[in-house]
Amino acid sequence: MSTVLRMTQVTKTYGGGDAAVHALDDVDFNIEAGEVVVVMGPSGAGKTTFLTIAGALLTPTSGTVEISGVNITALSEKELPDVRRERIGFVFQSFNLLEALSAIENVTLVMTEGSPKSRGAVNRASELMNMLGLGHRLKSLPRNLSGGEKQRVAIARALANNPDLILADEPTANLDSKRGREVMQLLRQIAFEMHKAVVIVSHDHRTREIASRIAWLEDGTFRPDVATDRDPVCQRVVEVQGSPAFSYESRSYYFCSTQCLELFKADPAQQLAGKRQ
Amino acid sequence: MLLVARKNLFSEWTRLVISVGGVALSVFLISLLLSLYRGWDEKVGGFVEHSNVDLWLGSEGAEDFLTAASLLPTEGKEAEQAKEYLNAYPSIDQWSPMIVRLMQGVRVDRISATEEKIGSKIDIHFIGFDPNTRLGGPIEVIEGRDTPGPGEVIIDEKLGDRHGIGIGDTLRAGGRDWTVVGKSRGGDFIATQTVFVSHAEAQAALRMQGATTFYVIKVRQGVDPAQLGAALEDQAARNEAPIVTHTREEFAKSTRDRVTSNVLPILFVVLGLAFIVGVSVAGLTIYTATIEKAREYGILKAVGFRNTYLYRVVFEQSAVTALLGFAVGIGLTVGIGPFASDYVPQFVLFTRWQDVLLVAGVTVVMALIAAYIPVRRLGAIDPVSVFKG
Repeated sequence: MSTVLRMTQVTKTYGGGDAAVHALDDVDFNIEAGEVVVVMGPSGAGKTTFLTIAGALLTPTSGTVEISGVNITALSEKELPDVRRERIGFVFQSFNLLEALSAIENVTLVMTEGSPKSRGAVNRASELMNMLGLGHRLKSLPRNLSGGEKQRVAIARALANNPDLILADEPTANLDSKRGREVMQLLRQIAFEMHKAVVIVSHDHRTREIASRIAWLEDGTFRPDVATDRDPVCQRVVEVQGSPAFSYESRSYYFCSTQCLELFKADPAQQLAGKRQ
Repeated sequence: MLLVARKNLFSEWTRLVISVGGVALSVFLISLLLSLYRGWDEKVGGFVEHSNVDLWLGSEGAEDFLTAASLLPTEGKEAEQAKEYLNAYPSIDQWSPMIVRLMQGVRVDRISATEEKIGSKIDIHFIGFDPNTRLGGPIEVIEGRDTPGPGEVIIDEKLGDRHGIGIGDTLRAGGRDWTVVGKSRGGDFIATQTVFVSHAEAQAALRMQGATTFYVIKVRQGVDPAQLGAALEDQAARNEAPIVTHTREEFAKSTRDRVTSNVLPILFVVLGLAFIVGVSVAGLTIYTATIEKAREYGILKAVGFRNTYLYRVVFEQSAVTALLGFAVGIGLTVGIGPFASDYVPQFVLFTRWQDVLLVAGVTVVMALIAAYIPVRRLGAIDPVSVFKG
């Protein structure tokens, strides 16, 4: 298996002096083709910084980032857009489709750089969209698509240039559980069958089901052997140690915040029943 | 055209109509004012330019046709000397006196032997010309007789159209009633029109016996009117009877300048305002469209599009808006041009292709300025922002 993304001793510091904030602190991270790695962690842990550095959108303060063997930290600012377009596919939380473009145009756009569409691009986009179950939605505008359909169009766009690396930022956050599960299965399928490296940043505990491994990011570093559990109120994955906790019917529950804890305490049975639904 | 630019532009018709309308309004105003200026320029200088007179000779201080501030003798020792000199001068083919007087006239309708109906006042250029040489006479007679007899006039067709005067009607001017016997073309000065009588009749009617306004000269072929004019001025100066001479071109230009020099500053201000209107409307609509789609531009940046691509998107939107606005604006000007003066006589439009090109250039500048600020905004969009919910 080949390493698609390799981050070595990556540090990102915002500000300077006493006010310096280390969003990422000496991080090492690798992912290989065919793997799905879910990056989890509390808010402010540095997940977005990690994703934007891995996505060649942000330059680290120090360290190196290699994508498919190319050291992108050695490239100039002008060279990075080509890396993003050709080597990385992005899947965003809020789909981020262009509203004036049809579903298929959103996909062909990244292949043709927005020039008049070529037959080859249209064929590939149609193929991808058929594969993702959107064959009947090619000409639909994003406003006429459901959340799940939009996210599948976004996945097709991410795959359009056949990149080695897919970076997904909270891909299920705006979807109901059924659609969210479908999207996760798609991402898993993409990694396993299309031999892509898929990095998912998520709070959604369901993403663990498809993960080859889970990386817990906290205070700008990946922490090994972190025990996690799911907040029964908001369904977020939380670190057991240090989180507000509550025992109910001989089981300990952990919460992302005191608000979730209080909600649970007010009516544990109902919260657990809601979770089961 | 880039897909994103085309889709952004044509997916919101209301915005497109507003921005195209703004540019169209601006182009329409600019081209209309330019055409109006050209129309006036053409009309005001047209009579002098198209007349058969090569050299205009007037008393000192006579600088243009409109004011006709000249008075020269036709009788007496000084006049006889001048006539002898003009007759003897080999470069001169023909010459004759010509009277020009700015005055008001009225149309008179005789209802009975004792009763008449007086029309509204008409500003006219009352011209007395020599029917023998026809120098300074009607440029082209289009209806009726080409030579007015005693008590007869030839009027400009625009005067007839505007005031409903035809052949056989009566025009009262200079204290006399004149019967219209012909209509001519080319004597419309916008605010006034020409009325031609014989020189002798003009002298009598205006009590200008022994005097005239100009001496008008036609030179022989190959003679430079400017050189002749200089020679005549020298001769007159030696006789202590100072005169001024103007070639046809000089006289046409100074006649135009008399009107347009006063209009030009106002014209430039209004042209500037029209330009600002166009830039503002197009700029604001394109800017707001860019701001509204800032997130989408951020997405494009994030997925690997360069700033230059985004700039091109905005410039193309701006250029197409400007192009459509230009087509509509110029179309309106060219479309209404031939009919405008039928409704408002002073609205004489003359659209030159050079001016169309000039307005096209102005529209390009408009498009560039309208796109400049949105483009600066695009450059500042951080693609990382699209990761935030």
